[in-house]
Amino acid sequence: MTSKYETEPKGYTMTTVMQEAARCLLCEDAPCSKACPAHTNPAKFIRSVRFRNVKGAAETIRENNALGAICARVCPTERYCESACTRAKIDGPIDIGGIQRYVTDMERKENMQILHAGKENGMNVAIIGSGPAGLQAAATLRQKGYGVDIYEKNAKAGGYLTYGIPEYRLPEAIVDYEVQRIVNLGSNIKYNVAVGKDITMDDLKAKYDAVIVAIGASAAKTIPMFEHNICTESAISFLARAKENKGKLDDLPDNVLVIGGGDVAMDVVTTLKKLGVTHVTDMVYEEFSEFKASKKELEGAQKEGVTIVDGYVPTDVRQNKVTFKHRKIDSEMTITADKIILAIGQKVDADGLNIDIQHNEIPFRKVRFHTKDPKVFATGDIVDGDKTVVYAVQKGKEVAEEIDRVLGGQDND
Amino acid sequence: MIKKDLSIDSLGVHFENPFCLSSSPVGNCYEMCKNAYDAGWGGIVYKTLSPDHFVIDEVSPRFSQLTKEDTPFVAFKNMEQLAEHPMAQDLADMRRLKKEYPDKVLIASIMGETPQDWTNLAKLVTEAGADMIELNFSCPQMTSHTMGSDVGTNPELCKTNCEAVKKGTNLPVLAKMTPNIMTMIPVVKACLEGGADGVSSINTVKSITDIDLDNKVALPSINGKSAVSGLSGKAVKPIALRFLQQIRSAAGLEQLPVSGIGGIETWEDAAEFILLGASTLQVTTAIMQYGYRIIDDLTNGLMHYMDEQGVDHLKDLVGIANKNILPTNQLDRDYKVYPKIDWDKCIGCGRCFISCQDGAHQAMGWDDDKRLPTFDKSKCVGCQLCALVCPVGAIKLGLVEMKPGRKGDPAKVDASTFQLPNAEN
Ligand SMILES: Cc1cc2nc3c(=O)[nH]c(=O)nc-3n(C[C@H](O)[C@H](O)[C@H](O)COP(=O)(O)OP(=O)(O)OC[C@H]3O[C@@H](n4cnc5c(N)ncnc54)[C@H](O)[C@@H]3O)c2cc1C
Ligand SMILES: Cc1cc2nc3c(=O)[nH]c(=O)nc-3n(C[C@H](O)[C@H](O)[C@H](O)COP(=O)(O)O)c2cc1C
Ligand code: SF4
Ligand code: SF4
Ligand code: SF4
Repeated sequence: MTSKYETEPKGYTMTTVMQEAARCLLCEDAPCSKACPAHTNPAKFIRSVRFRNVKGAAETIRENNALGAICARVCPTERYCESACTRAKIDGPIDIGGIQRYVTDMERKENMQILHAGKENGMNVAIIGSGPAGLQAAATLRQKGYGVDIYEKNAKAGGYLTYGIPEYRLPEAIVDYEVQRIVNLGSNIKYNVAVGKDITMDDLKAKYDAVIVAIGASAAKTIPMFEHNICTESAISFLARAKENKGKLDDLPDNVLVIGGGDVAMDVVTTLKKLGVTHVTDMVYEEFSEFKASKKELEGAQKEGVTIVDGYVPTDVRQNKVTFKHRKIDSEMTITADKIILAIGQKVDADGLNIDIQHNEIPFRKVRFHTKDPKVFATGDIVDGDKTVVYAVQKGKEVAEEIDRVLGGQDND
Repeated sequence: MIKKDLSIDSLGVHFENPFCLSSSPVGNCYEMCKNAYDAGWGGIVYKTLSPDHFVIDEVSPRFSQLTKEDTPFVAFKNMEQLAEHPMAQDLADMRRLKKEYPDKVLIASIMGETPQDWTNLAKLVTEAGADMIELNFSCPQMTSHTMGSDVGTNPELCKTNCEAVKKGTNLPVLAKMTPNIMTMIPVVKACLEGGADGVSSINTVKSITDIDLDNKVALPSINGKSAVSGLSGKAVKPIALRFLQQIRSAAGLEQLPVSGIGGIETWEDAAEFILLGASTLQVTTAIMQYGYRIIDDLTNGLMHYMDEQGVDHLKDLVGIANKNILPTNQLDRDYKVYPKIDWDKCIGCGRCFISCQDGAHQAMGWDDDKRLPTFDKSKCVGCQLCALVCPVGAIKLGLVEMKPGRKGDPAKVDASTFQLPNAEN
């Protein structure tokens, strides 16, 4: 039997997706489509479903979003398309993510090949990092006829899709499938190559017409007092181990303390619960009224029975004993746990790449995606804009367009 | 719970309520009919009996359906013929039903091939204790041209068969009409001349619901082939209502007892048939989809309607809408009524705009910034398409105006009779 950790919620059937599509008002100049950061055009693909054209729906999604099956599962839709949905004025928004998942599931079952490589234009681009930004940039460039090599320091592609987002929300098989599509377009992924260590930036610049840095924020932030604490692990390290081992971790104790209150923290606590940890306590800096995690994620964690305490900051740690103080009221508590997981954010690790990073981003430039080096471009989480998969997708598209503009490849379109 | 008298008399037979199973698999044996009676149905038209020498040999599968969005059974297509049991068994079942349910109505449906058959069948079902006989002149999927709906389009044959039936019985006789015809009137009149006392209308509409796009065959596919056959269910209701209205408005037929059939699912459908002149009602498809239990809401809903209307006897409602149905050339064409948007209800979806632009007269515009419709009265023709597509019922009938050059007082146009299907008040 597949474990709770490996089980994603059930998707729509042909009948139930039609019920949901029939709720859609088919709006004029649809606000949902305007609110999708990657222009996936939900109003159009929902209308296709309504008129029983699932293949057409799949084309709309795929042509706008090379990671459509992933976005369907992980997009914080309540902040994007669904927040704008007119239907919410009647009862609730259309479940756009759910419909998108149904369509892309059908696309997979039908083995549709929607994207095609463009005629080779003789120019080549190197992409550093195979997260969503790098993958989408590769897809767009291949459609325009550029040769694409992706350099990835890890053994698998996907960035946080593969090493972060838990299996029950985003099955590895889906990521592998989406990556394979992009490989099938003719992108070449070179695994286990860390640029700046195994190969230099100068090598890449010499060999390619342009270089895209899409390295994301792959290192964990920490708090000095936890730096040498042997009971402490970072959220992304824990989530990566859980995903790589399909949830089969044999070092899980019965009592885990998690610090942090964003979506990553919610993933950690929910994963712990799904893996059978009895006592999961989450200490959160923000109070509930100012909570960072999405409602959906928070509710998921609460449903699993996680103890969430809001408004506390850690003030002292001794081995496995952490003392917290409330930020506003006079209150202190000490928690003893068998393991501590820090989920307080990620930061960029651009060692050896010779690019400026300030506050985890490349400083804003007049022309977006350019770095100080005219041959080097940047995209994804390391440039301004939301730190989400769908934003990474859009930034991936846009950086490819920008390179195409600079290299004059538009003639090839 | 509301209690109203739903009983009605038709052709001298007392129905405790007007709701009957129509002749079909829903009333095909003792057990089924017993369950239907117990559930509260007022009468049953037993599945059509035919002479034993006419061999009934059904296909499999035998149904298909028309869907829309997520709605199944918008219409239902069947390829069934008549009762498959040996006649003796059906007659025994009928006899037993009548004995156990003396106060419920049992109508026998019959179909013969020769006049002799019709006489014999009439005799047999009369002896079995039926209260009434329905003559099936209208099944569109018979394998013989001397049976079924081909007969129902031929007034002469209908008359002859009615005469033959009358030789075998003195029970009241209903002739069941086919809708696969331009006008039923000559057929109805021929049946009455032949001795029928009333009609049942309609049987199923000849149809093809859908095609299997891979195998290029209509559905249901019977070993790779299919045939035109009868459509029933909600989508045929408008056709059934129009025939009912036509019959009851024809000179000399204004008081004809009609058993209304075709797409009845809710008490509202039932009330519509009654208002157009049906005194009893028959149902199949809705029962096939949902079961006998739908009788609860048919009867209770109809009681509430009577209550709202201040009516104590169902017969007072029969046929009273027909006076308001006129030939199109007699309608008032002197005024138009404009739509009126209730801005508190409007959610800014733009559907009225899209439909008026592409399907009407470009009177509804669209304000991109406000995301709200705009209205240009000078272009509006008052068709009210916009009101029909609005998903929240925000568009109502507004200002009434006389057309240029027409006499009349807009205030005298009876706006209270304007009702839009989706306008929630
Ligand atoms: C636990 C977790 C859950 C999340 N959940 C969601 C969610 O539900 N919805 C959502 O929209 N977003 C979510 N996010 C955020 C989302 O994953 C990121 O915004 C997105 O992955 C950023 O994409 P990217 O391509 O910029 O970078 P990344 O996904 O970080 O990918 C960067 C890639 O570059 C590689 N790399 C880095 N340095 C080098 C180098 N020097 N040489 C070669 N390769 C290198 C890395 O190994 C990695 O594969 C989540 C993040 C985390 C951590
Ligand atoms: C499966 C099926 C079998 C039917 N068999 C008969 C029949 O044997 N005799 C008959 O007079 N009508 C028969 N009919 C027609 C129904 O009695 C009825 O006239 C028609 O279905 C319209 O009513 P409805 O919309 O409530 O189903 C049959 C209908 C269906 C769906
Ligand atoms: S905004 Fe909502 S209701 Fe309107 S088209 Fe988009 S999904 Fe449908
Ligand atoms: S009534 Fe007809 S013409 Fe007038 S606004 Fe509505 S749709 Fe347009
Ligand atoms: S259809 Fe109704 S809700 Fe939609 S814009 Fe028009 S008036 Fe408003």
